[in-house]
Amino acid sequence: MATLAAKKAFTIAPTVRTLASGVPHAPALNLAAKPLADGHGHGTSRADKPSAWASSTTLSSAGLVSRTAFTARPTGHFQQRLLSTSAAVKDAPQVPDFSHYRAPNTDKNRTFSYFMVGSLGVLSASMAKSSVSEFLVTMSASADVLALAKVEVELGSIPEGKNVIIKWRGKPVFVRHRTASEIEEANREDWKSLRDPEADSARVKNPEWLVMLGVCTHLGCVPIGEAGDYGGWFCPCHGSHYDISGRIRKGPAPTNLEIPTYDLNEAEGKLVVG
Amino acid sequence: MSLSNVFYNTIFKRNSTFVPAVFAGAFAWSIGFEIAVTKFHDSWNKGKQWKDIRDKYATVEE
Repeated sequence: MATLAAKKAFTIAPTVRTLASGVPHAPALNLAAKPLADGHGHGTSRADKPSAWASSTTLSSAGLVSRTAFTARPTGHFQQRLLSTSAAVKDAPQVPDFSHYRAPNTDKNRTFSYFMVGSLGVLSASMAKSSVSEFLVTMSASADVLALAKVEVELGSIPEGKNVIIKWRGKPVFVRHRTASEIEEANREDWKSLRDPEADSARVKNPEWLVMLGVCTHLGCVPIGEAGDYGGWFCPCHGSHYDISGRIRKGPAPTNLEIPTYDLNEAEGKLVVG
Repeated sequence: MSLSNVFYNTIFKRNSTFVPAVFAGAFAWSIGFEIAVTKFHDSWNKGKQWKDIRDKYATVEE
């Protein structure tokens, strides 16, 4: 588009103007000033004085009049005049028309976007969960270790009213084949008033068989069977008395003898500790 | 209302439904993935695993 050049001459108010060289220009003082006729002069006209065609200064009855002719560029609102039959003017005529590519209905797109976000969340949550759980599995004992950690006892070899001590994971385990009177005695006790209240039924799977860890809960000695004031076990180290159900009755021990996890296989007459 | 709008309004619109839906989806997806992978593993290793060849040996022991 060609720029429109408008040439216009007008009068601007006389004022002191600064020349391009930075020297203040006060033209009214001596309009026909000539340079001094010494060695510093370079000619008959002053070099710093604008040419007469560009600027002229005259003295008139109205005062000093300074005229400067210059070309003013058109400023302000400049508009192409278009005929009413011409093409529709767009806001930005250079931008192509994208309306063909736009979705007529954005609801589907929105749902799809959220669906993809949610799917990513599902996968991430699943991965995070399995990372944590798989890591925790590495901390548990492996199957071969668990298999070695079991001990099998033939129950038929233990007569009624006898104790058997077996070794399980480096610790002694008491197995007692209790008589009917012992079972009755264990149940008769007022267990709620004991130091570590526990019913006999909570400590055995079959009342005939009492299986306990043979480690005194006080300082870890091995109690002696069929001894003590309560007909159960007695710890010789510091004098803890356990009853026929392995519950602490007297002495320094704080809790009852511990019960390991075990399985009674009545059909085959076997006890598996571990 | 279209199907996509139904999904948007019931699940995605509120975070209180979106996040539980994501967790429930993760739960279901992990179970499904586990089942699928196990099934594929068993079919790929058919005849090689102990549970496949157990019958040949277990009967002798008893």
